[in-house]
Amino acid sequence: MNILPDQLPFWIAGPLLGLLVVGLFVVANQPLGASGAYMQTMKAVRRDTDTVGWRVWYFGGIFVGGALATILGPGIEIRRGYDSMTAAGWSPTFIALVVLAGAIVMGYGARMAGGCTSGHGICGTAQRSPASWATTATFMATAVAVTGVLTLLTGGDL
Amino acid sequence: MRNRMNLVGGLFGAGFGFVLAAARLHEYDTIHETLKLESPYVFGLMGLAIGISLPLLWILERRQVATVYGGRLALSRSKIERHHIVGGVLFGAGWSIAGTCPAPALAMLSSGATYGAVAVVGLFVGLWLRDRQVAAGTGGASIGDGEHRDLRTTPAGSA
Repeated sequence: MNILPDQLPFWIAGPLLGLLVVGLFVVANQPLGASGAYMQTMKAVRRDTDTVGWRVWYFGGIFVGGALATILGPGIEIRRGYDSMTAAGWSPTFIALVVLAGAIVMGYGARMAGGCTSGHGICGTAQRSPASWATTATFMATAVAVTGVLTLLTGGDL
Repeated sequence: MRNRMNLVGGLFGAGFGFVLAAARLHEYDTIHETLKLESPYVFGLMGLAIGISLPLLWILERRQVATVYGGRLALSRSKIERHHIVGGVLFGAGWSIAGTCPAPALAMLSSGATYGAVAVVGLFVGLWLRDRQVAAGTGGASIGDGEHRDLRTTPAGSA
């Protein structure tokens, strides 16, 4: 519907996200993490008795909220995504394998470190947690370095 | 109470997903360009999110405010452990390669990008693989101060 701009400026999206973080603490005394919601959703699928049900609603909410913003913005369009990888000459199968491998490593690391970009990167750092600051600095530095290697390996295509 | 928490969870999740998609954080290029150091977007977004929430939470913590459903506000601050660092290295590598992270991957899928499903499935597989090792005692994991906590077993102010 193009009601939303193509991309909210980061100086609007960032503070909004910050307010959501504070809001969930004020309402539920809980952080706005994502990988923990994946874990609860996995527990729900396994029918574990200690599943935190509202985190599954939260997980679904992220999906629905993303769709809403897309509807108000450019509109939902069925596509593959990862256009830059296609432009770099990679086949659809290869792109899927790369994304799958990256996501598996990411999930494995998140379970080990106890969080992800939102959990450690925003909610943990905002609580002034030394562990979260260290984890965030580590994954940021690693990601920049790995991206540099990717760019080199692909001759600048990525 | 339980139903209300489900509503709260759904609404906060929706707000989170909405902001991520409106910021196009679910697009590979947004994250990739920042990690290539060609755009400050993601760093600026995260920095301002922290810049708003850190001082507000600090003030609320000092005032010992009562939360609506979770008792007195308790922030959590863990010590740095080896798994934070090793896990952070793995997470960072995967983040760079897949160009997405757990919450944006969901928004990617719901924006119509089918490869978002590949990322979501991969995330579940990775989380499950490590979780299985943790459950079997063959691998460790560290506390995540920014992930869901069990308020019944985490005494307030245990940080």
